[in-house]
Amino acid sequence: MMPLLEVRDLEAGYGPIRALDGVSLDVAEGELVAIIGANGAGKTTLLMAISGVVPVRAGVIRFADRPLAGLAPHEIMRLGIGHAPEGRRIFPRLTVRENLELGGFTQTDRRRLEQDIAEACGLFPVLGDRLGQMGGTLSGGEQQMLAIGRALVGRPRLLLLDEPSLGLAPLIVAKVFEVIAALSARGIAVVLVEQNARAALKLAARGYVLETGRITLTGTGPELAADRRVRDAYLGEG
Amino acid sequence: MQFFLQQCLIGITNGALVALVALGYTMVYGIIRLINFAHGDLIMLGACLALTLVTASGLAGTGTSATWLGIVLLVAACGLFCGGLNVAVDRVVYRPLRSAPKLAPLVSAIGVSFIFMNVGLFWLGPADRSFPELLPTTNLLGGEGLQFTAKDLLVLVVVVPLMAALSLLVRCTRLGKAMRAVSQDPTAAALVGVDVDRVIAFTFFVGGFLGGAASVIYGLYINTISFQMGFQNGLYAFTAAVLGGIGSIPGAVVGGLVIGLVRALSSAYAGERWTGAIVFAILIVILVFRPEGLLGRSTREKV
Repeated sequence: MMPLLEVRDLEAGYGPIRALDGVSLDVAEGELVAIIGANGAGKTTLLMAISGVVPVRAGVIRFADRPLAGLAPHEIMRLGIGHAPEGRRIFPRLTVRENLELGGFTQTDRRRLEQDIAEACGLFPVLGDRLGQMGGTLSGGEQQMLAIGRALVGRPRLLLLDEPSLGLAPLIVAKVFEVIAALSARGIAVVLVEQNARAALKLAARGYVLETGRITLTGTGPELAADRRVRDAYLGEG
Repeated sequence: MQFFLQQCLIGITNGALVALVALGYTMVYGIIRLINFAHGDLIMLGACLALTLVTASGLAGTGTSATWLGIVLLVAACGLFCGGLNVAVDRVVYRPLRSAPKLAPLVSAIGVSFIFMNVGLFWLGPADRSFPELLPTTNLLGGEGLQFTAKDLLVLVVVVPLMAALSLLVRCTRLGKAMRAVSQDPTAAALVGVDVDRVIAFTFFVGGFLGGAASVIYGLYINTISFQMGFQNGLYAFTAAVLGGIGSIPGAVVGGLVIGLVRALSSAYAGERWTGAIVFAILIVILVFRPEGLLGRSTREKV
């Protein structure tokens, strides 16, 4: 079966820095794939390159059998790739409702947009309670939910999640991860970039370990969680 | 008392004109953090076109309904011209510099300003040109009291609806929402499917359109135009935008009105030659105590 997302020998970076140095990975339709790695390993750059924000220098990214080379970020999004970026990056001076509406910017059918917003609020009820509030006034956890909700309103086939647990209280992390599992169960493919390797590998069907711009290890979630090197470096059991 | 009210009326009318220009600065700044130094000269070119069109069409000053219709068409034509020109400049000059250090587009804007000024010099010639009086100067309020002429009315009937339309556009439409999103975080906007370059181009168009409308009003209200008018008017309008809080649309309107009132009152009570000094002294004092401007953002967001 053709993978939904196919990355081959990807090189990308900012200025003189080459953050990705020949990365290859696959994500199947509906699959939840974790990418773990230390700070600065290139995880965010990888997602930004898939979304077209960071230019690709070499290698190929294909989505649904279509090469993404030369497409602008908004065109890539329109093909069905949602992205909840690192640092959440919600629009702080727009209301929660406006943030969600922007998630469905490409949806021209008003009724379907309302349905999609209602659905996002169903997943994260706290958003429904705060529709009129400015995004910037939400707590960190709520902002993360808004960032994911906003990406979902765009009806992605593939969702890129960048450090959704960063800076959140454990209880909120559990809630966010619960929703991520639910999304995957609904058939949305997810690429989950996480420093919280333990939680990510518990959830993921497969995972990749990214170290200084290269994939050094890959396997199923349980395989990686049991691997000596992963345990030493990322699970703090050294 | 009546003298004071008269000066206030003059101030508000002038201020509305300043505000219309200030909007062009503040919108472009809001969306790409660029101080578009060429904006004043763009408006000068709009005034050139307005003069050329008025002369060519033989639109004459009687204040009849035909004159008013002509003025509306003039506003539309100069608005489209300045809007289109602004978009073209963005496409050719600023867009290639989007990811360059901020100084590069800024210096380019100064360059565009000089280019425009030279086009204006070629178009108008070096001397001041008088703009035909299209509207009667009779007092609409009647009697010897407060003077409110058709020209003052013109400023308000053009400026108020344009501002109302702008406010609706930005607050209530899908495109307006996209504009606000791009101004807050262009990358995040692109990630939800907003074509950022198109939204920026649209913003340049709207700012330019308002400037084009301002150029027509300027010609009809002040009655003298020259290739150098862009610099000083641009400076006052830019000051208004900063005073109100650059990037803030209501701020530009408030800043414009404040500048208009201060100019009118200081010309009346302190003398014309002090006007510039007083305006900028007030600007400095306000910015010392409120660096973000009168309506600028001071709230902190959680990060």
